[in-house]
Amino acid sequence: MTQEKFYYDNKIVKLFAYATIFWGIVGMLVGLWAATELAFPSWNLNLSFLTFGRLRPLHTNAIVFAFTGNAIFTGSYYVVQRLLKARMFSDFLSKFNFWGWQLIIVLAAITLPLGITVSKEYAELEWPIDILIAVVWVSYGWNLIGTLLKRRVQHIYVAIWFFLASFVAVAVLHIGNSIEIPVNFFKSYTVYAGVQDAVVQWWYGHNAVAFFLTTPFLGLMYYFLPKAANRPIYSYRLSIIHFWSLIFIYMWAGPHHLLYQALPDWAQTLGVVFSIMLLAPSWGGMINGLLTLRGAWDKVRESAVLKFFVVAVTAYGMSTFEGPMLSIKTVNSFTHFTDWTIAHVHIGGMGWNGFMTFGMLYWLIPRLFNTKLHSEKSANTHFWIGTLGMLAYSIPLYWAAFTQTLMWKEFTDAGYLAYPEFLDTVTQIIPMYITRVFGGILYITGIIIMLPNLIKTIKSGHIIENEETYAAPREKLAKKRLAGETPHRWIERKAVHFTIWVLIAIIVGGLVEIIPMITVKSNIPTIAAVKPYTPLELEGRDLYIKEGCYTCHSQSIRPFRSETERYGEYSKQGEFVYDHPFQWGSKRTGPDLARSGYRGGKMFRPAVWHYEHFKDPQKFIEGSIMPAYPWFFENDLDYSSIKRKIEVMQMLGVPYPAGYADKAEADLKKQAEGIAAELKKAGKDIAWNKQIIAMIAYLHKLGKDISLATADNKSNAEGEKTKILNFTASSNPEDLKSGAEIFKSTCAACHGANGEGVIGPNLGDNFTLHGSNAKDIFKVISDGAGIMTGYKFQFDQKKLGQVASYVYSLLGTNPKNGQDPEGEKIQK
Amino acid sequence: MENKNTNPKEIFEGYNEKYDQKLMIEHDYDGIRELDNPPPPWLMWLFYLTVFWALGYAAYFHFFHIGPLQAEEYKIEMAEAAKKYKKSDAETKQIVLLTDETSLNAGAAVYAKSCAACHGPKGKGGIGVNLTDNKWIYGNSPENVFKTIKNGTTKGMASFSSLPDKKLIQVTSFILLKLQPQKATDTESNTNSDN
Repeated sequence: MTQEKFYYDNKIVKLFAYATIFWGIVGMLVGLWAATELAFPSWNLNLSFLTFGRLRPLHTNAIVFAFTGNAIFTGSYYVVQRLLKARMFSDFLSKFNFWGWQLIIVLAAITLPLGITVSKEYAELEWPIDILIAVVWVSYGWNLIGTLLKRRVQHIYVAIWFFLASFVAVAVLHIGNSIEIPVNFFKSYTVYAGVQDAVVQWWYGHNAVAFFLTTPFLGLMYYFLPKAANRPIYSYRLSIIHFWSLIFIYMWAGPHHLLYQALPDWAQTLGVVFSIMLLAPSWGGMINGLLTLRGAWDKVRESAVLKFFVVAVTAYGMSTFEGPMLSIKTVNSFTHFTDWTIAHVHIGGMGWNGFMTFGMLYWLIPRLFNTKLHSEKSANTHFWIGTLGMLAYSIPLYWAAFTQTLMWKEFTDAGYLAYPEFLDTVTQIIPMYITRVFGGILYITGIIIMLPNLIKTIKSGHIIENEETYAAPREKLAKKRLAGETPHRWIERKAVHFTIWVLIAIIVGGLVEIIPMITVKSNIPTIAAVKPYTPLELEGRDLYIKEGCYTCHSQSIRPFRSETERYGEYSKQGEFVYDHPFQWGSKRTGPDLARSGYRGGKMFRPAVWHYEHFKDPQKFIEGSIMPAYPWFFENDLDYSSIKRKIEVMQMLGVPYPAGYADKAEADLKKQAEGIAAELKKAGKDIAWNKQIIAMIAYLHKLGKDISLATADNKSNAEGEKTKILNFTASSNPEDLKSGAEIFKSTCAACHGANGEGVIGPNLGDNFTLHGSNAKDIFKVISDGAGIMTGYKFQFDQKKLGQVASYVYSLLGTNPKNGQDPEGEKIQK
Repeated sequence: MENKNTNPKEIFEGYNEKYDQKLMIEHDYDGIRELDNPPPPWLMWLFYLTVFWALGYAAYFHFFHIGPLQAEEYKIEMAEAAKKYKKSDAETKQIVLLTDETSLNAGAAVYAKSCAACHGPKGKGGIGVNLTDNKWIYGNSPENVFKTIKNGTTKGMASFSSLPDKKLIQVTSFILLKLQPQKATDTESNTNSDN
């Protein structure tokens, strides 16, 4: 066979490797700083760009996209050329990929601390950078697919499958999640509202973990692990099974980030079951990795590279076991919003991504520079310190999460919250936050040890930037399946077919979950009382987003007694219809704020309280770790874009009256002056156009509409009464049937499937507690009675009538196993 | 692919004929080879089990409606709690104002921290109403004042249900005994001194 001469491009690999190390150190230091602020709040130095709310997005973006992103490129540019026996398709695209990516990172590092953000986790960057990301990412994919097409080998190896899936999925996810309408160059609103936005965001957020932090690293594992161990892959069949099941199932699991929140039950169920089904496919990767090491375990003792790989793969196995467990609703009700999530992602991030990257660098750098690793001993030290750091980081956080969630949920014997002050549950875990900082320091120390070791290695060798090599050209085979060729083996030699199948596999889950959320109205029952934000509230909301308040405060009360007792009524889908973007958050370092504007509610605080609290949180709440926001009092509110903001909102379907954009500024000023006057009454002199005024307006909007609905109902009690007085039970079979359906889904839990009574009384006997005529029954269902809740906000009058008619029809039916009668005997 | 060594033992030191299925000779990717081992049966069973579980879970909650969905689950939890816990003692029983100095001082401290921002340091009012006059929107019986503080009002008064009942009674006592009636004067000493 004639051999063709060609050159591997090693220079691009080298550049990406340098960038990986550099951004790794930067990203981790930012994380360390943010972690220190939680233990010692004064570390933000009262500088806006150093507050936790702005640093945390910087840390996550730097680790996910800068550190692991560059690691993926380092590995895949090295691996793809060797596995396909071809130089990269285009040197220009390689360089464009490299410099484009570094530009994105620099832009992120500038914009995020300035508070230029869309607040969607791991997708915080604003629209111009989003476009740049799409372009650079596609250039990588173009380069990858181009190389596939000019490859010299017949079949593509499993590592390449994973790179391919990563490229396709991340492109779809990033573009799908980043559809936004620009307000100006630095600000945009996502097209999705509330619940839809939450579903799209976590479809993205979850699968960014899948297709940025998992599949590309499996690709790296499938190359570097067998290479470093000099062992064959344990099972080809397992690679096929776990590859396809993994990429297909992953895409469905996003809703597990929103369990027990304002998401339709069917979507939550999909999130739960697909997360559970994800366990075995994820473990397939770990098993294939670990079993590949059979017969090479003696090498692990000496080789730092293999040690890193073994712990990385084990950490991968641990996180992918933990993930499905955390997706079980009962477990999730304890772990969500706590530090458990943070510990979980750091096992994955530090263990799997970090250690795979370090192992790869220790293996790759000496080979790239044609030399030996300067010090194997130093690499081993890095391994042990890193491992220790990872444990010292995560164990305290698991402990903190456990402590805090139990404190949140504990009730006293009299039935009150045992720790009604949220801060008490925070103070308790501060020692764990301090310990976690030391874990982080240890982990970074490992990298500081790696740095001179790699520099000395690089100095002792020299790189051949264009490495000469030979391979035979690819034989032309029949397009059709050959005799004896398995279907999978067949598509392994057909790159385009393969890519299309990957696209189909990854797209199904998202479509099934997102499309009904947008098109089917019943998924988001509307609440008439919920009104769009006033211009001032909207500006306040944008400040809330800018400061990254969502990194510490959720706006999503789950339907648990421990949460409704603490925060107020649980969150409903219809409350969020005007929210572009949603602000449910994923972590409660501070309390939930969904009801902070609910007058008479537990979370409500008057304007002057917010004023004092933003100025000096410790004044009211001694020991609070909330930072002060002195600039809210100095900086003017920039409302220059308010007209355009209202117009964009109108474009997105928010029902401001026609022409309202022109009046917005006047309305904003009027409302702001009102708040300034209110503050003045309390002795606080502040100009109406300061940022604090807009923040107060926004915080007073949260949950306000719901409280007004309640208040309105009180004042409309007369009107209600007439409706009830006019009610007569329907005997229309249609009505009774609908009534029976509502009864089954809503009432049966307490009154039994046939009204025989369980927690609530027997409805089928001849005794009633609150009256026996149809009007009485309607009233009880509508307003509630005794321990029974009223349903007037859940169902409209017609439905209430239907279910009342049904309940009326139950009287005297004497169902089986009926409870003993309660109340007065009646005559029907 | 020129190196067609077919003896696995010579290629890989760790190759184990006893356990490993055949080496897939035609699979060679930059020197990486693959074995034809089947996936571990326990892993496959784990997979089938999770799929069955998923179907069962969906059926339990959605097709047969056996398990309660979250709104219903909440109602059950609340109904059970309502049955289990009686109302707090302080809310149902008459509230006896505390007259000892320690309690009143404690009440003054609670007032300074939680109430003064709105009602003024001496109760003269600000954002909140004047507490030193004779006008009461929600009644001035100890029970009513206690309830107003504990539950808040829809007109803007925050709820202080997060404070334990003991503290609430202390501050109620402070307001009714120290700020009322006409006790508050402009002299600083009045707030804390024993009358």
